[in-house]
Amino acid sequence: MQCEEVREQFADYVIARVEAPAPLEIVEHLSSCAACRAELDELKSLWMQLENAPATEPTAELQARFDVMLAAYEEGLRRPVHNWRRPVLEFAAAAALLVIGIGVGYRMHTPPARNPELAELQSELHQTRQMVALSLMQEQSATDRLKGVGWSYRLQEPGADVLQALLDTLMHDSNVNVRLATVDALRQFGNQPVVRRGIVDAMTRQEAPMVQIALIDLAVDLKEKESVGSLQQLTQDHNIDPAVRDRAEKGLEQLR
Amino acid sequence: MHETDENLMLAVRNGEVGKLAFLFDRHHRLLFDFFAKLTGSRAAAEDLVQDVFFRILKYRGTFRDESRFKAWMFHIARNARIDYYRKHHTGTLPAEDRDTEPQSRFGMPGDDLEQEQQVFLLECALLKLAPEKREVLILSRYQDMKYEQIAEMLGCEVSTIKVRVFRAIKELRDIFFKLSNEKPPCNVKKSVNSLRIM
Repeated sequence: MQCEEVREQFADYVIARVEAPAPLEIVEHLSSCAACRAELDELKSLWMQLENAPATEPTAELQARFDVMLAAYEEGLRRPVHNWRRPVLEFAAAAALLVIGIGVGYRMHTPPARNPELAELQSELHQTRQMVALSLMQEQSATDRLKGVGWSYRLQEPGADVLQALLDTLMHDSNVNVRLATVDALRQFGNQPVVRRGIVDAMTRQEAPMVQIALIDLAVDLKEKESVGSLQQLTQDHNIDPAVRDRAEKGLEQLR
Repeated sequence: MHETDENLMLAVRNGEVGKLAFLFDRHHRLLFDFFAKLTGSRAAAEDLVQDVFFRILKYRGTFRDESRFKAWMFHIARNARIDYYRKHHTGTLPAEDRDTEPQSRFGMPGDDLEQEQQVFLLECALLKLAPEKREVLILSRYQDMKYEQIAEMLGCEVSTIKVRVFRAIKELRDIFFKLSNEKPPCNVKKSVNSLRIM
């Protein structure tokens, strides 16, 4: 056998993936070819050394992010929307909202005490809006997710699941326009501690400069003092976009 | 009773998505180590693990009765990695974007400095390999996957994988020797983050 033919078999013997002994012709070649023997020993040694590289461990944050993602997904599934049904459901939701809206509007003209159904109707309206927002935010198409984010504007008091879905979208949505729209949508809920925390957390984790700047603007507008640490981190990070760094510096001055 | 990965995934596929938590618990460290070694960045590795589990949920319907979970998961991991590189317009993370400090520098059992330095160089050499070659080495060495499993995952012949592994390890050796004669051995960014989680 030629050296090259023998060496082609080394992948099996270097890595010890083959339990059977090496074919006789390889053994014979190795016993008579010092160069191939040296090559095999060298590669084997390198392979063994690779094992010494220690495994890297994730931070606890990874688990926390997964838990949030799974919870949001489960919540979305509880209100399943199948693609073929979606247009029908959207139409039905729109029609239901119209009817409920008219009902609520009509009832608003009379004192609540005399209209016990009012609270129920308002609750129904709220739940329907939440359902549409949550369902759309689960969609594959960025346009649909944008619609979902847009629906959140119709919610006066969003549930924890909607806020979490918005924050999850801000953190993980692959589309920068959806993330930007989410920053705008979160502005209306800026009085909620969970939203303020989410904005601060996202600031240093976003990669798109536009989203980072929008988050800084929002934190400054909300006078969120907790963002000072993140802003300082951004001013010291020389790998980020200079525009983001400048905005962070200005933001720090505004918050002082 | 210990449920197999496949049974858990079938349950996830059939709507019991909460069971994904068990699969995450079993596999996220392994996947994280795979991505950390592949990208040289802990932050990227965490994002990629999150992405993989999200994709598992999203594409859970494609898990077939006869699929093997680990191979399927790594298939998804591979696509996530390709998309990640495409998004970042690079085949590998530039040194300045890496945030992993080869851990061997911070002490190994017995504090064998020479061995420590060797492993450090080897980790640097691994990061200098082309992603495709690094991938087969990591799968084969650290994930302990058989050639057949890697071939199934990458959709190619076992013989192709053997050749790829062999070429990868030879190239790794060449880079390793080259680095051994260079000072400093490699350019890996030190970061607060990497030191924090040592």
